[in-house]
Amino acid sequence: MDYDKLVSMAADAGYLLIANGAEISRAEESVRRIFYAYGAENGEVFAIPTFINVSVSTPEGRPVTAIRRIPSRRVDMGKVDRANDLCRRVCRTKPKFESVEREIRRISAQPVFPFPLQVAAYALVAAAFTLFYGGNCSDALVSFLCGAAIRPICSLLERLHVNLFFINVAASFAAAAIALCFANFNASLNYDKIIIGALMNLVPGIAITDFMRDIIAGDLIAGILRFTESLLVAAAIAIGAGIALTAMRMLWGV
Amino acid sequence: MYYLPCLWAFFACAAFCLVYNIRGKILPLSSFGGALGWFVYLSLNFLNNDIFQFFFATIATAVYSEVMARIYKKPATEFQIVALLPMVPGGGIFYTMEYCVIGNNEMFLKTGLHTLGIAGALALGILLVSSLFRIRSAVPGTKK
Repeated sequence: MDYDKLVSMAADAGYLLIANGAEISRAEESVRRIFYAYGAENGEVFAIPTFINVSVSTPEGRPVTAIRRIPSRRVDMGKVDRANDLCRRVCRTKPKFESVEREIRRISAQPVFPFPLQVAAYALVAAAFTLFYGGNCSDALVSFLCGAAIRPICSLLERLHVNLFFINVAASFAAAAIALCFANFNASLNYDKIIIGALMNLVPGIAITDFMRDIIAGDLIAGILRFTESLLVAAAIAIGAGIALTAMRMLWGV
Repeated sequence: MYYLPCLWAFFACAAFCLVYNIRGKILPLSSFGGALGWFVYLSLNFLNNDIFQFFFATIATAVYSEVMARIYKKPATEFQIVALLPMVPGGGIFYTMEYCVIGNNEMFLKTGLHTLGIAGALALGILLVSSLFRIRSAVPGTKK
């Protein structure tokens, strides 16, 4: 058996899972099951949210190792789902490495929703959460605009390779500023409900849900990383909105 | 007046499914988890302690997500990530920040600690359910 290809394929499968927001224990177990399926029982895998390391010893005792850095993670549950199904199928049917690699490439190239639909989704999230937190219909309308502004700002800054912290500060500032401008001209708007609803878009849901699951599963480093990440993002959101609030107070005395 | 907030929670979760690229029959199912959690939260109003309310609501959504994950053979995260969002204390973070900006230190500390308490309740709820379901799937003979 070609151990080089096995290790490379397993690393790619793990990378696909983690880069799209799966738990660390799921990714590690998937890789381990792939090794079992192909008869490489001594396979080892170590993963944290930014890194995956896979290693196997050949029967001659030569270690084969692959490392993948995971520079950026996004949440795409559709891909996690497909990758998970693929791993189960690989363990059951043990297909050729080439066909698995082709399948992994196909899954990772799968398109997400087109950009206008993503903007619409962000806007809908904002509007629905404003209503959920007790805003009225006109609040929801303004919140819809704030939410729609968040996605283009994020993708523009991502293209400029700005760091995650600053992206969140900028997006949060923009959403809060739009809400406060509207509130300045129409005093009946509940600007707090609008801002909270719009900022739900930036909340690191995956970090919050996964960090406890990771810690429970024994992946302490992964859990701490996610916890730190969620603290950083929460701070960034608060700072962005805080700058907008302070600036508006100084400008108009809202 | 339970149904209206639950309805908004459902729609908010459904919109988030689009952001997280969750499609097909998982979309309404995981959104229902969010509505269910908020229903549990509201129906425990008589406790007069929202940290406990959040704790039990988290347990309800987490159990729902784990059960659905086993029925549909999907990752539990897929349900849980969306269904927990209505319980995330976004309001708490915002008001904490606002009090900080105004300079109302007493309310800043009070709201901040309360928000931390809610976050802790969420984490503890997930912890409890996740560990219980791990016990079950570790029993020999049961398939994972």
